[in-house]
Amino acid sequence: MSTWLINATQATIDGLIDGGIYAWIGLGLSLSFVTLRRLNLAYGATALFGIYGGLWLHQKWDLPLPVLVVVIVVITLVATAYVELLCFRGRTTVSAQSGPRPAGEIQNAEIVAMAASFAIWMQLEQVAVNLLPRHLQAFPSIAATSEWAIGEIYIRYDRGLLAVMGLLCCWLTAKWLTHSRTGLRFRAATDHSLAARLSGLRVDRVQRHAFYLAGGLSAVAACSVLLLDGQVTPMFGMWMLFKGLVAAWLLGGHSLGSVMGGGLLLGLIESYAQWLLGAQAREFVLYALLFVLLVRQAPVGWKGLTA
Amino acid sequence: MSTYAIGLSTDMAIMSFLALAAYLLLLVGRVSFGLQAFFGFGAYAAGIGSAMLNWPLPVAVAFAVGLGALVSAAVAWPTMGLSGLRYAIASLAFAEMARIALSQWVWQVNLGDRLVGPNGVDGFRDIRWVLTNDITDAQYLFICLTALAVCVAAIWYLERRRIGVVMRAMGFDETLAQHMGLNTHHIRVMTAATAGAIAALGGALYAHRTTYIEPAVFEPMLGVHSVGYALIGGLGAPFAPLLGVILDLGLLNAFHDLAQWRMVIFGGLVAIFLRLKPRGLVDETLLAAMRIRGAQR
Repeated sequence: MSTWLINATQATIDGLIDGGIYAWIGLGLSLSFVTLRRLNLAYGATALFGIYGGLWLHQKWDLPLPVLVVVIVVITLVATAYVELLCFRGRTTVSAQSGPRPAGEIQNAEIVAMAASFAIWMQLEQVAVNLLPRHLQAFPSIAATSEWAIGEIYIRYDRGLLAVMGLLCCWLTAKWLTHSRTGLRFRAATDHSLAARLSGLRVDRVQRHAFYLAGGLSAVAACSVLLLDGQVTPMFGMWMLFKGLVAAWLLGGHSLGSVMGGGLLLGLIESYAQWLLGAQAREFVLYALLFVLLVRQAPVGWKGLTA
Repeated sequence: MSTYAIGLSTDMAIMSFLALAAYLLLLVGRVSFGLQAFFGFGAYAAGIGSAMLNWPLPVAVAFAVGLGALVSAAVAWPTMGLSGLRYAIASLAFAEMARIALSQWVWQVNLGDRLVGPNGVDGFRDIRWVLTNDITDAQYLFICLTALAVCVAAIWYLERRRIGVVMRAMGFDETLAQHMGLNTHHIRVMTAATAGAIAALGGALYAHRTTYIEPAVFEPMLGVHSVGYALIGGLGAPFAPLLGVILDLGLLNAFHDLAQWRMVIFGGLVAIFLRLKPRGLVDETLLAAMRIRGAQR
């Protein structure tokens, strides 16, 4: 095989592995956006807060790993409830209210909720940093010390496993939403919330539960990533938010299927950008892609993938 | 006035430009998390003008303001048609692109004993116009306050014209504004250009105060703070965002013990204000009540 082909294959494999992880990160964000029609910009910060809170307790009492993960999920859920209470409660979508409201008012409510969640982002991040002031924090690692080699191609099988778990989690969540009773309740509250409300469904409560579920999923995804990275910095919250945003919106963000496709595509684009243009270009491409996607406002396509 | 008080006042004046820029965009119903990019462009442009091209400060600042307006209008043109939510994220993405681009930009000229100019992540040193022209801290504060007063007065005047009323109406109900036959897109782009110019003015003054700038300064939290200042201060009048700046930099900085909790308090305040008083401390209702009370006397 030529060097170019080896590099291209390596970039493709690395991209797909990263993409599976991005899909997992985007899952929670997409779930809360689809059900609430509100963008939670504190999405990464709540997970960061949970991680720093868990690590703080871990440093005090040397918690076993499974307990640490449970503690992180619980703290993230508490932070998610705080965000929901302060930023989103009472600002649900038009049909969840007693009657329709003017478009301008709905849009203002959207913006206000998003801005509030941004404010809570900096609050949670600061509390996390105050808890553990050192920039780099060690996180218990279960990363493999070796990798598979197929000829000149190397595969981090632990990260590969994580990517498969991420995609599986997205797929299972999509199946649960389409086949379980609770999942159907979520969808009914999202798709036709006024009709759902008239049918006796407590739309606000359903939306709240979806929001908590999204928070829990983000905590599990964050823990999984860090278990392999073995370290965390305060930038992790922002990293989660942006990767999740792009993964969720790359293919339109209309369904969990598009999150899976979006995550994989993002991973591939980043991997190729890093190979061809360097590490800084990888970050630039991420934001450029997000900007272009938003300006286009339309999904790139590939709707067949949707759940 | 002590050196500390002068320094703090100058910082507050400079941050007020960002708050004013955020205020203008909020008036037309848009939240921008990307104003730090124009602040950064202004800082770099003015630095290049005065430190590398030897222009006098007013010319360098005018160049920065023009560039800020131009880039802001160019970014606003395709993005202002988006929903508020998408616009906010697009502005943040643009600002991050700008920050990464600045961190890769190297352009230095040899000025005899030293190299001057943008040097990637290491930033841009020796923007020394204020020092070489013997401008004292107090004089520089006066320059910043004068520029700020001009901006506030200009916006105040603008708000009393038809265009100002239209801008505020758009923020409340875009459909109604469109129904009145107004081109809301053009008005929003013009507003964004003005906001970009004001943010760039703040950046230009910031670069000459600190003499050193680096891309890391223009991170998203700077943009969030500017929106927070405007939201806390209020959308009732152009002086209101300045209250947000005073509250954050003045009051919270005054209590040094609170330094590490500043973001916690500020973030909490923004969230609480958005819940209880979405249009800030000084909103239209308060001003109307004050006007009525004044008339009754």
